[in-house]
Amino acid sequence: MRRFLRMYRVEQKIFFRSPDVILFCLAMPLVVFVVITMITGSKNAADSGLTYLQSSYVALSTVGICCSAFMSIPITIVELRSQGILRRMYCSPCSPARLLACDILCSGVVAALSTLILTVAAVAAFGYRMPGNVLVYLAMWLLTMVSMFSIGLMVASLCRTTKSMNVATSLLYFPMLLFSGATIPAEVFPAWFQSAANVMPLGVGINLLKSVSMGCYDKITVPVIMLTAITLICGTIAVKTFRWE
Amino acid sequence: MNESSVSVRNLTKSFSGRRVVDGLSFDVQKGEVFALLGHNGAGKSTTIDLILGLKTPDEGSAKILGMDAAKNRKRVFERVGVQLQNTQYQSSITVEEACIEYASLYPIPADYPALLEQFSLSSLRKSFVSKLSGGERQKLSVVLALIGSPEIVFLDELTTGLDVVARREVWRTLKQLKKRGLTIFLTTHYMEEAEVLCDRVCIIKSGKKVAEGTVSEVIAASEQKNLEEAYLFFMGEEELL
Repeated sequence: MRRFLRMYRVEQKIFFRSPDVILFCLAMPLVVFVVITMITGSKNAADSGLTYLQSSYVALSTVGICCSAFMSIPITIVELRSQGILRRMYCSPCSPARLLACDILCSGVVAALSTLILTVAAVAAFGYRMPGNVLVYLAMWLLTMVSMFSIGLMVASLCRTTKSMNVATSLLYFPMLLFSGATIPAEVFPAWFQSAANVMPLGVGINLLKSVSMGCYDKITVPVIMLTAITLICGTIAVKTFRWE
Repeated sequence: MNESSVSVRNLTKSFSGRRVVDGLSFDVQKGEVFALLGHNGAGKSTTIDLILGLKTPDEGSAKILGMDAAKNRKRVFERVGVQLQNTQYQSSITVEEACIEYASLYPIPADYPALLEQFSLSSLRKSFVSKLSGGERQKLSVVLALIGSPEIVFLDELTTGLDVVARREVWRTLKQLKKRGLTIFLTTHYMEEAEVLCDRVCIIKSGKKVAEGTVSEVIAASEQKNLEEAYLFFMGEEELL
């Protein structure tokens, strides 16, 4: 365990050296949140029953997850593989799986940190209080994170080259970031578009989190089953199709 | 009786119909420095990959310390250090961090500051690996091969890209390690290097063994003056002599 932590510390340091992590995972959600809240914070977001403050806090708390799952994780793993680093790790008593575990943990920590920064800003500067149970919210947030990460891991396993991985991550990342309601509030889209957003994996997670944040726990069974199924299916594919080189 | 550190028997591997390693057999004894010599594409790196279990042989077998590396990966690599050709590093990792990361893979790692000192890399501890010169990076990969205090170390073209001074530094350190009983398996393009370092060499051509023995045996068998000329002789490049 101590050896794992030693490796983790190095990997986490490397993580924070990459400017896009800081920009996309940590700064971007905060900036979008401040802008939306200053413009329309107290207004109701369409007929959702949430104010824009409440709605965008929840939505933006998933941006860190989105960045980690659809950018950091696949990019890191495909790079480790194409540069032969996993191959080199294979020639050591420790399995390359440890390096992967470290990187997934790093991504999780960055996603959590992104949400933490957002939460501090929302609570301290904008007086946000969550009507629902914070612990349930946290549990659902973690479920959303795990299921999105499993999609990212599947992409990393299926994409053999950096090129195909770049295409796949762009196809996942930008639509989810922009159209699932994570950054642009889903409430501003027309109804037909919203129903498309609702079936995007991240959209499912965001809607679930919105319900939970408002203390509505009666409609959470279906999304929880969907996210669990995504985790199991994508996780299995990721493990089954994984290659060290 | 000498224990065989590496034992290769009738090793054969083809890629898309072309035999890259062809019925290769040899032994490396404990404490010995052994070189596999051959042209680019002669099958040296593939042989190393097969021995390390990175590739599966079509026929034959390769054992390290009596074990099959593919089946006993963990136990083998606790005792075997490896420097692969063209290993890259994570972008924005420093020399020291790479050492910490690789040391964390082993139960009883070597003292990496001392290794960095031996290879004159101490002043570069905080430098990014991506900013190192080719030679410095090559020396770092040798350091990382030694970081698990191995009994056997595999060095694939260890001094390619090194300048004269750096090459001599690596030689000096390898000689010291040899005195302490380290078994070294290396491939090189420099015959001078093989002459200076190696107890025994094996010359391969298109995956087949054409000569094996101590440096003086190989030179004697070719009736040439030195290993470089012996090498050209066995490669069938007599017109260059």
